[in-house]
Amino acid sequence: MNNKEFDNILNDCLERLLLKGESLQQCLARYPEQAAELKPLLETALAAREATTIQPRPDFRARARYEFNSALKETAAGKSRPSWGWFPRWATVAAIILAVVLVGGGTVVAADSSMPDSPLYSVKLATEQVRLTLTPSQIAKAKLCAQLADRRVAEIAYMADKGDVEQVEILTRRLDDKLELMVAFIEGRGGINLPGMPGAPPEEAATPPATYFAPTQPPAATFAPPDTPATDEAAPPVVISPAGEDWGSRDKSAGNGNRAQLKNTLVSDAAHNQAVLLQALDEVPELTRDALRRALAISEAGYEEALDALE
Amino acid sequence: MQDEESLVRRAQKQDQEAFAQIYEEYFDKIYRYITLKIGDAVEAEDLTQQVFLNSLRSISSFRWKGRPFSAWLYRIAHNQVVDYLRKKKKMTVPLDEKLASADDNPQLATERKLDVEQVLVAARHLTDAQREAISLRFTSELSIAQVAEVMGKSQGAVKALQHSGIVALRRALTVKQNE
Repeated sequence: MNNKEFDNILNDCLERLLLKGESLQQCLARYPEQAAELKPLLETALAAREATTIQPRPDFRARARYEFNSALKETAAGKSRPSWGWFPRWATVAAIILAVVLVGGGTVVAADSSMPDSPLYSVKLATEQVRLTLTPSQIAKAKLCAQLADRRVAEIAYMADKGDVEQVEILTRRLDDKLELMVAFIEGRGGINLPGMPGAPPEEAATPPATYFAPTQPPAATFAPPDTPATDEAAPPVVISPAGEDWGSRDKSAGNGNRAQLKNTLVSDAAHNQAVLLQALDEVPELTRDALRRALAISEAGYEEALDALE
Repeated sequence: MQDEESLVRRAQKQDQEAFAQIYEEYFDKIYRYITLKIGDAVEAEDLTQQVFLNSLRSISSFRWKGRPFSAWLYRIAHNQVVDYLRKKKKMTVPLDEKLASADDNPQLATERKLDVEQVLVAARHLTDAQREAISLRFTSELSIAQVAEVMGKSQGAVKALQHSGIVALRRALTVKQNE
């Protein structure tokens, strides 16, 4: 008998002993040839199981339940989602153009590396939404979501270091949104309005037909203040580029290549972001650690799901 | 417990009663899982509580894709344990000297009634993967399929870990005949 067969027999006996309530003798009688080898192992398993059928202390259980109920009530009291995600599409785009016109293209460039405690951060988020809008294919959108998730992770580590629990939690929700969106694009569900996308209505609202994503290859969007003379003093035009290099590609093999490429990227991103957050966990103030651990859990689950979707 | 999927969906919509049911269903199992993993029943209490607070905050990220909810919950517990052990890794825990090596002529402690401390100390002799498999199988009573989901391994691999884990546990629970 090989090891695999014995593993199966042992497992069958454990199922019967531990989950179905059979006696040790009954189990051994099923496998007389292996009984001698099985007996000590099953005895050990039974004894270990019995010994570890322990429960938390009653006073701890009561305290834990009270704390958990309090947390439940706080959560149910509700935290509103970031409002940007529910802006109508036209309002999002209009706001970006307005921002570019009012504050100038250089500001958008500067905003790109801004952190959540910067006044330019809202411009950064708005620019990201436009890039997502202008990126044509689902797989390219997924790639862009991966890049944006990297940004959120860096921001989470930064704000955790500053001890800002609230911002870490907000950024974690944004990270979750981006990872969820990435999965939707990978699975080809990106044609509908999704949470976290500009133009997505509240969940209960009726969703119009999918007209949100441009079906054909759009040009890169170039924003420049209108009627601005082309002088050296003029703010440079800002090119907000869509992500991905597979614009308009309908070729199946190219699509498969892109998915393989995305998979490699995500494997690397998942490990990198996990390392960033774990390192931050060592360095940040104690008060932000719980929030950071939640970010870790969200990050891990999100990448795992995305990689599953790519299988 | 009512159909788990509908319960989890209600919990995702901030239904307090649904989440409370999940809490009651899994609290002891997660506690036992953590206890065996870290070898400290008191420390395991706080970690268990933290698992449920984390799951409350992140349950909206859970998605049904044919994977059981328990796999997600145990994954959070696993991460909590990893984080805890990472902080403690510089502290070496002395093994109980009464525990014998594999070469000793054994009289199994399992012939007597074991207490939890003996099992926890013995469990330190297991590899991480063996301890994970044994914890999930014996203390949380998950099926092989569920353990495989949680650990991200095949069912065959989990069965092999279960076998080698029990052998290692038995070896560690062995005491010198004359003691």
